[in-house]
Amino acid sequence: MVVSPVHFIAVPLLAAFLIPLLAKVSKELVRIVPGLVIGYLSVVSVILMTQVVNTGQPIIEVIGGWSPPFGINLVFSAFTGFLVSLMTFMAFLIWIYSYRFKKIDDAPAQKYFILFMMLVTGSTGIVLTGDIFNLFVFMEITAIAAYSLTAFYRDRDGAEAAFKYLLIGSFASALMLLAIVLLYSQVGTLNMAEIAQRIHTVPQGMKITIFTLFVVGLGIEAEMFPLNGWAPDAYSQSPGPVGVAFAALVVKAGVYSLVRVVFTMFDIHGAYEFLIIMGAITMVIAEISALKQTNLKRMLAYSSIGQMGFVLIAFGIGTNAAVFGALFLMFNHAVIKGLLFMSGSYLVYNTPSKEIKDMAGIGKKLPMVSFFFALGALAIVGLPPFSGFWSKLYILMAAADASFYYLMGTILIVSIIEIVYYFRVMGRLYFGKPQNDVVLQKPTLGGIFAMGVLATVIIVIGIHPDFVTGFIQSAADTLLDKAGYINNVLQLTNL
Amino acid sequence: MNSLLLVILILLAGAVLSFLANRIMPILSGVMSFLSIGAAAVIFFVQVSAADSMAIPISGFSLHWGINAYSWLFGAMVLGLSVFVALYAIAFMKGKDRLGYFFFNFNLTIMAMMGIVFSTDWVSLFIFWEIMTWSSFLIIIYAGISEGRVGTKYMIFSAIGGYAMFMAILVSNSLLGSFQIADLVSGFGTLSLGNQALIGILFMVAFGVKSAVMPLHVWAPRAYADSPMAFTAIFSGLLSKMGIFGMGILMISVFAQGTIGQTFIFSNILAWLGAVTSVIATFYALIQKDAKRLLAYSSIAQLGYIIVGLAIGTPLSIMAALFLAVVHAIFKGTLFMVVGAVERQAGTTNMEELGALIRKMPWTFMAALFSIIALAGVPPLGGFVGKWMLYESLITSGFGANYFLVIMVFLSSTAAFLYSYRFLFGLFLGQEEPEFDHVKEAPAIMVVPMVVLALLLLVIGAFPGLLFEPIANAMAYMGVDVNWNMTVLSNVWGDEVHMEPLWTSILVMFVIGATFLTFKTRRNTRYVTTKDIHTSGEIPEAHENMTFSVNFYQPFERAIEPVMKRKMDTYYNRIGEGLESLFGFARKIYTGNGQTYAIYVIIFLSILILIGETIFNK
Amino acid sequence: MDEFWMKIIGFVATVLLAFVVGAVYGGLVRKIIARTQNRIGPPWYQNFIDILKLYSKSSAINHGFMQHIAPAMAITASVTVLMFVPVLTGDGWFPWFENLNFKGDLIFLVYMMVFGSLGMALGIGQTGNPNAAIGVSRGLSMMVGYEIPFVMALVALMVQTETTSITGLMEYQDQHGWLMFSSPFAFIAAVMAMLGMFHYGPFDVAFAPSELASGPPSEFGGKYLALMMTSGSIFAFAKLVLFVDIFMNGASNLIILVIKTLVLYMIPVLYGAVSPRYRTEQAIRYFWGWPTFFGALAIIFAIYY
Repeated sequence: MVVSPVHFIAVPLLAAFLIPLLAKVSKELVRIVPGLVIGYLSVVSVILMTQVVNTGQPIIEVIGGWSPPFGINLVFSAFTGFLVSLMTFMAFLIWIYSYRFKKIDDAPAQKYFILFMMLVTGSTGIVLTGDIFNLFVFMEITAIAAYSLTAFYRDRDGAEAAFKYLLIGSFASALMLLAIVLLYSQVGTLNMAEIAQRIHTVPQGMKITIFTLFVVGLGIEAEMFPLNGWAPDAYSQSPGPVGVAFAALVVKAGVYSLVRVVFTMFDIHGAYEFLIIMGAITMVIAEISALKQTNLKRMLAYSSIGQMGFVLIAFGIGTNAAVFGALFLMFNHAVIKGLLFMSGSYLVYNTPSKEIKDMAGIGKKLPMVSFFFALGALAIVGLPPFSGFWSKLYILMAAADASFYYLMGTILIVSIIEIVYYFRVMGRLYFGKPQNDVVLQKPTLGGIFAMGVLATVIIVIGIHPDFVTGFIQSAADTLLDKAGYINNVLQLTNL
Repeated sequence: MNSLLLVILILLAGAVLSFLANRIMPILSGVMSFLSIGAAAVIFFVQVSAADSMAIPISGFSLHWGINAYSWLFGAMVLGLSVFVALYAIAFMKGKDRLGYFFFNFNLTIMAMMGIVFSTDWVSLFIFWEIMTWSSFLIIIYAGISEGRVGTKYMIFSAIGGYAMFMAILVSNSLLGSFQIADLVSGFGTLSLGNQALIGILFMVAFGVKSAVMPLHVWAPRAYADSPMAFTAIFSGLLSKMGIFGMGILMISVFAQGTIGQTFIFSNILAWLGAVTSVIATFYALIQKDAKRLLAYSSIAQLGYIIVGLAIGTPLSIMAALFLAVVHAIFKGTLFMVVGAVERQAGTTNMEELGALIRKMPWTFMAALFSIIALAGVPPLGGFVGKWMLYESLITSGFGANYFLVIMVFLSSTAAFLYSYRFLFGLFLGQEEPEFDHVKEAPAIMVVPMVVLALLLLVIGAFPGLLFEPIANAMAYMGVDVNWNMTVLSNVWGDEVHMEPLWTSILVMFVIGATFLTFKTRRNTRYVTTKDIHTSGEIPEAHENMTFSVNFYQPFERAIEPVMKRKMDTYYNRIGEGLESLFGFARKIYTGNGQTYAIYVIIFLSILILIGETIFNK
Repeated sequence: MDEFWMKIIGFVATVLLAFVVGAVYGGLVRKIIARTQNRIGPPWYQNFIDILKLYSKSSAINHGFMQHIAPAMAITASVTVLMFVPVLTGDGWFPWFENLNFKGDLIFLVYMMVFGSLGMALGIGQTGNPNAAIGVSRGLSMMVGYEIPFVMALVALMVQTETTSITGLMEYQDQHGWLMFSSPFAFIAAVMAMLGMFHYGPFDVAFAPSELASGPPSEFGGKYLALMMTSGSIFAFAKLVLFVDIFMNGASNLIILVIKTLVLYMIPVLYGAVSPRYRTEQAIRYFWGWPTFFGALAIIFAIYY
């Protein structure tokens, strides 16, 4: 079977363009095709991932026959493959969840699916590409799709959120572009492997300036404080499934690129400490803000930012165990936050005010949704026996081994804050006095299925984490093996 | 199949089954839970032996389970009491809604406690610890009082404790390279003093929260009082003992290894905290008007003694602590069941309203009476044995501060007589109220567990050696050897109390006195209602109830007023308010204004460019 | 077998002795208090008359099981306490008195003393008489007050002598002289606590006849009251002997025993006869003031002894 990483970019992009045509044929096709595409990609990613893990060699695809450093290459290593599998898996569940999205009105649905396909293309592209300029391009694709999806409801708040996102996002683009231009002027190549090889020739001052530009540009996408002002609004104003997509795809891609820059391209040691500090600040401020939120989706958004701070900390510690933990956390965050956003959206639909205090007693009206939300809450704060516990354990274990005791203390104190606000919502859901008995929107079958799958994943991984730890371990090894990455990519030049 | 795994799996299956059974028929839910706990208990007592152990590999490390004499003691306590409570719960919870939810978490909590007991490495202990925490949290909010705020307080403190333990585990792992409890015991002495203190304090906080030591106790009174009584019996009787379980490991074996054990004032601080906790909690207990609250505070006080015993660390005091732990589980479990029965039958637990239930609920009263005697530590029941050993161990410890400690403990247990009496008087004695005329004895399924446990206290009082044996085994496993005798208590100075002559004297005299009183008299006297009394010439109206039950201990309250002015709760609330306003300030960083965010980006970029050289150039 | 009967005889003799002495003391006290208040007062054997009369009466009513059984609990506690206190030491007139005395652990005694009060309190509670309940509330509250200095004194003694049994304390006193002198602060604290323990003025608020209609025993009559009074006499004697044993090295014969106990007994009695009544909280504060201070002093003294 001929599968190649190119499919990840070509197929969804093609599908995105075909959707308007398909709409002419059948309205149902608009909904079915994205699912087929993403389902196909999931299968491909699993096949490739198995292959990569078994052979221990990454799959490197050169587009257009031009070999690196001149051509565009896609690197499907254990690390990128892991992220892509995660993204396609989540995208598939989002598709199921949103299958009946805007059922009555097909025109917006068509737009939604087109933009969603673009989002998938962009995010997977960011992860797979081995070329810094392509990374920028994919980031723009993702960003444009994300802006539009944020403003999807065409209401005032959505437009405002999208505008903020656009405003900050344009900074990101500009800074990235500047960084790439400067970098190219110094090393004369855009291939990341080659950049990594030649970076030591760049004068220190210049190197740091370029690095700074990258960090700020990518930090915006990775929701690093204080560059994450766009995130709460974007999460809370966009439609439910889009929030999931942000948490599971867009942010993951942002973190990926930041990590790629820090770990592979540059050799700046201070960067790791910088990541820890920025991660800690991000986490603390975000969790504190989450505590004070009265709007459920905003709370989830801040919580997401906090989790990303945690991921940054873990990457900043930089040991193999820490990176392993960070990747595990990215996996968990995608799954759990996906579940929380999915169930949270239904809670919000049924609460016109969107306020947490008005959600009292929903547990009786929507038992399934509330159960999923409660499960997600238990998991995200890292309580055993759910999957969130293991990533926390591994990261803190790494922190302890590196003697970062204060850091551990901070993380754990922040976790207490996290527990407070999640459990507050849970208590409300189940044991508040219900205000009315009207159920505005019951979850769709697809929604229940998607949430059920995520819940199962959370419990199963929680009880038996070894289902994924193998993949994550090889992903972590691959990320840290900088020389291997360079060799693997550049070997293809000579073939 | 490994019997440890079997016990856990049966309890887990029981949880799931009772959740599902609720769909078929609500009552089945409780029956399912009882059956599973019973089966687990049978397996535990028949099958489980020291040879059972297992390891579950998880990438990077493995979870180890095993059983030893020390954990057997606690395991036996957990399953032994749970069986009774589960039986009681069938009837107690009948007719309430969401039974599936309740029994699911009920079973899960018990499973988690067994898991804690079985764990021989810290990670699996922590996993079960947290399961225990959230499953019990879910039960606390079951009643739904004040929209889960009580639960939140419990959760915050549990989280503080849980994460302190988490950190301690990880730090000790990074220093010693092992998660095994045994390795911490053997390796603790090799650590530097600072690390010993760090690990020690973190663990103490962790276990202190569950065992409600001051200043970490504020969650307990309402959490105990607001959960359904069938669960509070477990909550106060057993869940808190998990804190004692952990503390025991630390105080008995871990700290004994470290230099900290000899030089640090650690154990003394803890002992004083325990003593102060017990005094203050007792004072609070005796001013309560709700029987549940009274018992909740009393639980905190009793745990204080246990902690004192553990912290002093002489063989006798450890024995006293473990003995008290077991006895407390029994009598406090019974008492909470009693209150539950009263609540179910009479509809309230307010001691100012209730009264004179003795003739309506005689069996419940009997259970309450024995448990209260044990609680108060009055001879000859089990409670006395524990108290005696505690005092004697303090007095014979040969350390100056301990002599004052014994006064604190004594103050607390003397004041405990006050609330003991208040409890019995408020619920069962006093004048009859017409509005409680309809009250009947609780169903047999509730009465039997209470009475059996009460009789157990009697047996333990007569033959304390029955409990000494497993406790001595447990202590021997922990490296503390202690002598014991079936019916004789003795201290290190060679002084003894023989329980046999004591029992003989009490029984003989009681029988003589009772016979004397009953002979001829009982037949000739007639029962008159409690309204028919000497009232110094005043003739009360028929409907007037003259029972003295409001502000029962007002004079005593006045005497202890200076102590009661300061409440730990207020301090925490103030801290909470302070943090809230600080957080509110921090939150303002996110103004919601796009321009501000843009400015943040620019400022951040400029700062990084300016100082980038210094931070990145390492 | 012989030994067993000796024990039984000793047991009965001890109880009888305690009852007689206790009742005589009770009569004397009534007389003394009357004289200090410029009354004539009842004869010294008045208590015997009262008790005999009450025994001969039969009760017509009861208020339920607890009330019925409470006097039995009281007498159980008094006699058991007595059993654990060595009445006479050495080869006195009645050498078998000693035989029944187990070593007599102090902590145990302190707890055993409460047994009767608690049993009585339960019986009283069932009568539903508000005066009685108020009395119980006051009595128990005050008990918390005086037990503290008392236990402090005991702890000081135990620490100083390194034994917790009464016989141990007496052996120590055989060698080192009376503990009353070698541990003065403990003695002061204990005596001050004793003021409360006997419920004479100013600490008679629990039984205050004029306020509470005698409080706790107000619903008891006939045999019930008789048994309670018997128990009270025995208990008073047992307490006095305990004080004599631990501070004055016991007594080797009855005369010395009577002298020592009487002298000790006069302290609360005379102090009470001339004192007005304290309110409960005042009494508690009193006990937690100077007596506790002396108790603390005693412990510190014992540590450095």
